[in-house]
Amino acid sequence: MDILKKVKEILAEILDIDEEEIAPETYLIRDLNAESIDLLELAVALNSAFNIKINDDEIFLRNLRPYLTEAKEKQADEVAYLLGNFPFLTKDRITQILGDLQGGPVLKVKDLVSYVAWMGKTG
Amino acid sequence: MKLEFSGSRALILGGSCDLAVCLAEAMIKVNLLPILTYRDENGYKKISNHLSSFAGKYETVYLDFADIASLDALFCKIKDDLDFMVDFAQGDIEGLIASANQDDISRYFEQNISFRAKILKKAGRAMLKKKRGRLVFISSSAAGKPNPGQGFYAAAKLASEALYKNLGLELGSRGITTVTLRPGYIDTGRGKAYMQGREKEVLRLVPTRKAITAKEVTDTVLFFLSKSAAGFNAVEIAMDGGLTAGKCLK
Repeated sequence: MDILKKVKEILAEILDIDEEEIAPETYLIRDLNAESIDLLELAVALNSAFNIKINDDEIFLRNLRPYLTEAKEKQADEVAYLLGNFPFLTKDRITQILGDLQGGPVLKVKDLVSYVAWMGKTG
Repeated sequence: MKLEFSGSRALILGGSCDLAVCLAEAMIKVNLLPILTYRDENGYKKISNHLSSFAGKYETVYLDFADIASLDALFCKIKDDLDFMVDFAQGDIEGLIASANQDDISRYFEQNISFRAKILKKAGRAMLKKKRGRLVFISSSAAGKPNPGQGFYAAAKLASEALYKNLGLELGSRGITTVTLRPGYIDTGRGKAYMQGREKEVLRLVPTRKAITAKEVTDTVLFFLSKSAAGFNAVEIAMDGGLTAGKCLK
C-alpha cells in the first residue's frame, strides 16, 4: 500500500480539505490547523487503515520538548537522545526538527508516513 | 413510543448484576445485541440462567477491573465493533474514611476510576471508527448525597461521572455522546438489600414514597440509547423520585 497516498486520503477526509493541499513537508498543526480531536481521529483511522498499534504520544511527537529538557539535564547528545525516543525518525529529520523548534509544532505529514512504515516493519 | 436505534451492538459492563440482565432482556426484545461482561464463574452462570431462553441473542465476555489483560482481550474479542455501552460496574466498599485500610483505598480507586478511564479510552476509539456511539453510566444518588460510610463509593461515582461527561464533551462533535443516570433507591440488587427490614423508614425520605423498579431503570436506559434521546449529552440525570431534590422530608 502506498502509505503517503493513504495518509493524505485520511487527512483530507478528517480535515475536510483537498488532497492537493497535503504534501510530505506539510505541517499538520501549523499549516493544516489540525486540533487535538483531529489527531485523535487520525490515530484511530491510521490504526484501522494499516492495522498497526498507534501510540499517540510517539506518532505526534508529543514529548519532544520534555525529551529535549531531559537530554540537557542528562548532558546527553540531543540528536541521539531523540533518536532513541523516536526510532522511526531519521537522524537527518531530527536535525531538521531541532533547527525548526522556534516556528511552533514541528509535526509534518512525512513523520506520520515514517511512523507507519516503521510500525509496519517492527510491529 | 416506538424506539429506534443507531446500531445494535451494546456492551454492558457489570453484566451479571440484576439490572444488567434485565436490561439485556429488554434489549433483545428490541433487537439489540447485548454483550454482557462477567468477572467470575458465578457471574457467567447468573447471566446464562437469566437469559436461558434467549440463546444466540446475546454474548458474554470476561472482564475483571483488576486485570488489564482482560480489557485488551475484550476489545479484541468484540473487534472494536461497538455502538452502545452501558456501565453498571461498581466495586463495593463501605466504611468510614478515617478507618479505611490504605491498600483498600488505592485498590478501590485504581479499579473503579483508573480502570474505567482505560475502558472509556478504548470504547471512545472504537466508536470513533464508526463516528457514532452512545454511552450510559449508571451512577447513584449517593454520588451527590452519600450516607456516612459511602465516601469512597461516592468519590468513585463522581470521578466516573466526570470521565463520562468529558468524553461526551470531547467526542460529541464526532457523534459519540454520554449520559449519566443517578438512580435512587431501587427495589433490586444492593438497593433491595439495603432497604430490607427498613423499607418504610427509607422510603419516607422519597417524595414519591416509592422505590424505583428495575423495569423503570431499564426502560429509561433503553430510551437514552435511542434516537429519541439524541439531545441528551454530557449530563447527569437523577431518577430518584425526588430524593435528592430538597431537604429530607421525614
